[in-house]
Amino acid sequence: MSDILEVRGISVSFDGFKAINNLSFSIGQNELRAIIGPNGAGKTTLMDIITGKTKPDIGDIRWGKNNISLIKKSETQIAQLGVGRKFQKPTVLEYQTVEENLMISLKNSRGFIQTLIYKYTEEEFTRVNEVAKLIKLNKILNKIAGELSHGQKQWLEIGMLLAQDPSLLLVDEPAAGMTNSERTDTATLLKELSKTRSVVVVEHDMDFIRQLNCKVTVLHEGSVLAEGNLDHVSKDNKVIEVYLGR
Amino acid sequence: MLKLIKTMDFKTICFCLFFILFSLIITLLSDLIFGSISTSFVKVLGKTLMLCLAAIALDLVWGYCGILSLGHFAFFALGGYLIGMWLMYERTKEIIIQAFAEQLLPPTPSEIKEAIGIQIFGVVGGSEIPSIWIFADYLFIHLFLIIFIPGLLALIFGWLAFRSRVTGVYLSILTQAMTLALSLYLLQNDSGLRGNNGLSGLQNIPGFTSFPQSMVSILFLWASTLALILGFIIATFITKSKLGKLIQGIRDDEDRIRFLGYNVETYKLFVFVISAIMAAIAGALYYPQAGIVNPTELAPIASIYLAVWVSIGGRGKLIGAVIGAAFVSLISSFFTSGQIPDLNLGFIIISWVDWWLIILGLSFVIVTLFTPGGLISAFENIYKRSFGR
Repeated sequence: MSDILEVRGISVSFDGFKAINNLSFSIGQNELRAIIGPNGAGKTTLMDIITGKTKPDIGDIRWGKNNISLIKKSETQIAQLGVGRKFQKPTVLEYQTVEENLMISLKNSRGFIQTLIYKYTEEEFTRVNEVAKLIKLNKILNKIAGELSHGQKQWLEIGMLLAQDPSLLLVDEPAAGMTNSERTDTATLLKELSKTRSVVVVEHDMDFIRQLNCKVTVLHEGSVLAEGNLDHVSKDNKVIEVYLGR
Repeated sequence: MLKLIKTMDFKTICFCLFFILFSLIITLLSDLIFGSISTSFVKVLGKTLMLCLAAIALDLVWGYCGILSLGHFAFFALGGYLIGMWLMYERTKEIIIQAFAEQLLPPTPSEIKEAIGIQIFGVVGGSEIPSIWIFADYLFIHLFLIIFIPGLLALIFGWLAFRSRVTGVYLSILTQAMTLALSLYLLQNDSGLRGNNGLSGLQNIPGFTSFPQSMVSILFLWASTLALILGFIIATFITKSKLGKLIQGIRDDEDRIRFLGYNVETYKLFVFVISAIMAAIAGALYYPQAGIVNPTELAPIASIYLAVWVSIGGRGKLIGAVIGAAFVSLISSFFTSGQIPDLNLGFIIISWVDWWLIILGLSFVIVTLFTPGGLISAFENIYKRSFGR
């Protein structure tokens, strides 16, 4: 399995505080990976670095078959390369309808002249409907996104990422604020998605991770503490000490 | 979807027809035909139309893209200055050539130039024509400059501001600083634009001096109507396009759009520049009707008023911006004209010129509290309640 993303020894500090400390790991093609760790372990910072929001002090990030370095690229360029990101707080366009939210995310022209004269094709409308069905919002396409429930917003955001069709999906706390049945559905959806693309899930909720049934990376103080399946890492003494045991 | 597009077109058509009809009626009532309304009132109406266009321009950046520019009158007044330079130069040239015509020897070009310099810049103690007036003799270059210079200013300003990710209230303050700086610069006598005197006599259109002002005012009314309609159509086109949805997305959540792979800064810059150009064109048609443009026009308060009009009318809706600018600016010129007698309440005398600002402030507060979507959304709600069910 060739790697789609390789993080090589990155470090970043904010005002002397080392948020990420010589961290290395890689994500394979079509892999589902969970990242866990206590508060302040650097999970969200890691996402910020991969998506280009934060620049690391040292280290490198390599992307895809051609081993392109992501370090010098802007958020926009990284997104265009195929990295999709779901934020911790559901981030959808609150004043636009579900359909408009999905339409805007579709993978097509990103230049401003093209968008000015862009006409959506039939296929794209069909695609939006498919995605909407997948995230169970197809009955309320014309509802304003701001009126959706918290769980539905989370799903809409995942749907937007699907429409964007990235090769790597970074999902920050997808199950936050969801009911139990919604969690199960979300886990199923993420597992389904990982068949055609790589998915990285950052999550606190152990039950949810268990449902994902995938390789887990445990972060602590900005570096990788342990890696393996959930049973393996939960037996690791260091992990128990810093995280699970508390 | 198709149905939606059809209704949208209907709205635009209604808008165009309304303003064409409006100008037709004003033409009929003007001094040219029936003479029921004065030439100066025709000019007030023509000017109001251009304030509406400026409001559309602001609504595009603020209501749709979330950039509250409190410096749009900088672009508006720049447009006025740029057309004013040509108007004043050509008009002065005409007068001077006429004056020389009585002499036996025809004047040389340099003599004419010298005379123009003294005529225009004598008031600030100069006689040389500053180098920025180099194109003042050429109308087409100046028409181009009306688009180019405010566009360039917006491009440079926007590029610097958006690139550094300055947003929200900080950006608004920067735009205020921009218009204030420009205003202070123009106030200087050696700015080459006649300092605090500004450019005057703009109502005299070179080549049309034999036309009475009643005719000129109607011509400008129609030009303004045309500009407003065109501006509305262009703005509608932009807001209905995918780009329009995108900029509304930027307004609602910039990061979401950025991480979807769109270059947010480019989009902001595009909208900001288009809007600045629209404001400049509005200004270029406004000031010939006003007759004078001077640095006080760029004072920060002017741009704030524009934002108040848009928000009273209803931002995020083009018609809202037009309604806001039209009503508030007309009522404002009515109250501040001094024609209404003071109201004596015994314990206090209400002089409308002073009290108008209080009324405006109150209505702003009331609109913000009770109908945050502005007058237009209040109308819509009433309409929905009466006919919706």
